[in-house]
Amino acid sequence: MLEVRHASKIYGSGPARVAALNDVSLRVEDGDFVAITGPSGSGKSTLLNVIGGLEKLTGGQVILDGRRIDDLSENALVDIRRKKIAYVFQQYHLIPSLTALENVLLPLTFGASNGHAEQRAMELLRRVGLEKRAGHKPSQLSGGEQQRVAIARSLVNGCTLILADEPTGNVDQKTGIEVLQLFEQVNRDGVSIIMVTHSPEIAHRARRIVSLRDGEVVSAG
Amino acid sequence: MKLLQVVFKDALRRKRRVLYTALGVAIGVAAFVAVLTVARAGEDRVYAEIDKYGPNLMVTPAVSDLDLQLGDLRLGTLAIGDNYFAEEKLLEVRRIADDAIREALDIQDEGDIATIAPKLYVDTELQGTSAMVVGIDPEQERLVKTWWIVSEGRYVEQADEAVLGARASASLRLGVGDTLLLGGEQTTVVGVLGETGSNDDYHVFVPLPTVQRLFAREGLVSAADIRALCSACPAVDIADMINEEIPGVRAVAVRQIAETEMNLVNKVNRFMITLAGITLIVGAFGVVNTMISSVHERVRDIGIMKAVGASRRQIVRMFVYEAIGVGVIGGLLGYAAGTLLSYVIGPLIFDDLAVAYELQYLGPALGLAVLVAAVASVYPAFRASQIRVAESLRSL
Repeated sequence: MLEVRHASKIYGSGPARVAALNDVSLRVEDGDFVAITGPSGSGKSTLLNVIGGLEKLTGGQVILDGRRIDDLSENALVDIRRKKIAYVFQQYHLIPSLTALENVLLPLTFGASNGHAEQRAMELLRRVGLEKRAGHKPSQLSGGEQQRVAIARSLVNGCTLILADEPTGNVDQKTGIEVLQLFEQVNRDGVSIIMVTHSPEIAHRARRIVSLRDGEVVSAG
Repeated sequence: MKLLQVVFKDALRRKRRVLYTALGVAIGVAAFVAVLTVARAGEDRVYAEIDKYGPNLMVTPAVSDLDLQLGDLRLGTLAIGDNYFAEEKLLEVRRIADDAIREALDIQDEGDIATIAPKLYVDTELQGTSAMVVGIDPEQERLVKTWWIVSEGRYVEQADEAVLGARASASLRLGVGDTLLLGGEQTTVVGVLGETGSNDDYHVFVPLPTVQRLFAREGLVSAADIRALCSACPAVDIADMINEEIPGVRAVAVRQIAETEMNLVNKVNRFMITLAGITLIVGAFGVVNTMISSVHERVRDIGIMKAVGASRRQIVRMFVYEAIGVGVIGGLLGYAAGTLLSYVIGPLIFDDLAVAYELQYLGPALGLAVLVAAVASVYPAFRASQIRVAESLRSL
């Protein structure tokens, strides 16, 4: 279970000071699928970043499975990324020199690999419908295909929480729905998902919607 | 998939950048290999000369060299004195040389020890061209000039026979069996020597008594070579004693000349190695520079790798792997370029130096290149490991 307690994040100081998050609290139970929405500048991406430890909080806490993770050192965060939290980005962020299969394998290259790495990666590619594209480089894949590779990559470590930042932002509507279906399927298998999106349509497919405005929670479903 | 494979695939995609970085290493390594190869060849040549002439002394008539100077300007030297000395002085020379060698090697034997080869140079005209006729003691001369090879015919045995240096044979158009008119007497050419690369190639060798008689220089010689049997023999001491005790002659140990030359070679080498070192340092800064820009180019990739679980140490390791690759490529290129370069600069620094490539420098060249690349990658790797995921991914 993930819990955000009274999180605040302030950029700059003095008159230039901007509060990106202002006393935000949030609970995400295991197996939940939460959509965070809001207009741009509402702080939704910042919230996702502080949950994943990509940015430090100015105040408040982030607790994952009973353990504070907002004040962890870089090395301890590496451990969290290898075991618990995975990311899916709007820009897919695949490594261009590696094939689809190798991109899926990459987290296992850095973390502990159990020897069946390639098999597991191939199985995940099959699950996202790309087993025939395993040897292709990202430049040879469409946007939707790249995002599916990224989702397969987020699953390879067996993480329990996926943080997705506008995962459908760069693909057409039809592909967006496919990506979303994939998330739903993953979620049914027990992986919690927190997804940032500005699109109400996409957000409605999640189990819960949390709306932010000016760094504050305006509604939580 | 191993970390090394990730690095390799990435490097393949950035071939030009990797090659460019390797060139930074290659330039410094090339300078080193070139300098060492040339220095080695230069030293080898001096050592070869020492080996060849090392145990030898040269005895010449004592002439005083008057330095002609105008202010700081040297106009050359003017030799004052005779061109000949009495042959009997060689007896004293022998006594001194033999005594010194006996003492040095603890020999009791009473016989002759040193080989003394007297020579009488006469500049004369043969077949219409000017030629240098050299009177020699055939047996002794052969013992001193161990590198002489008779390429045609045979060596001089009789008083009315001559053997020609290779160039003399060509320029005089004389071969084995021809006769030449020497001071009014017929002399038969019985042999031609192989090329030695020395003045000997231009000379006509005839037994000493014949030359003395034909050119009216009985009892006189121009010079004598002394071979003191062993390289451990005290050639320099013998030369000193001869100079002290026998008036009218001057003795020089060839080793002294060679050592002077060696000193010069060493100075030149030290200078060149310093320059090569500077080149290497400049090259290393080039490597740091290109590596930092390659860190900038890969900010996003590094951010992604960290986001999927790469630790700082793994990021550093990836850069170290790349540096090793760059070092190996740079080392190979540098070795090849340095060897080629040495063929060009070798003859410029030491006249007509024959350069041989030194395979033994390949290992050290690779080692040096890898070391330089590894050291140069430390800072860029550190910078890469400090990249923050959020910033690196937002920057795009």
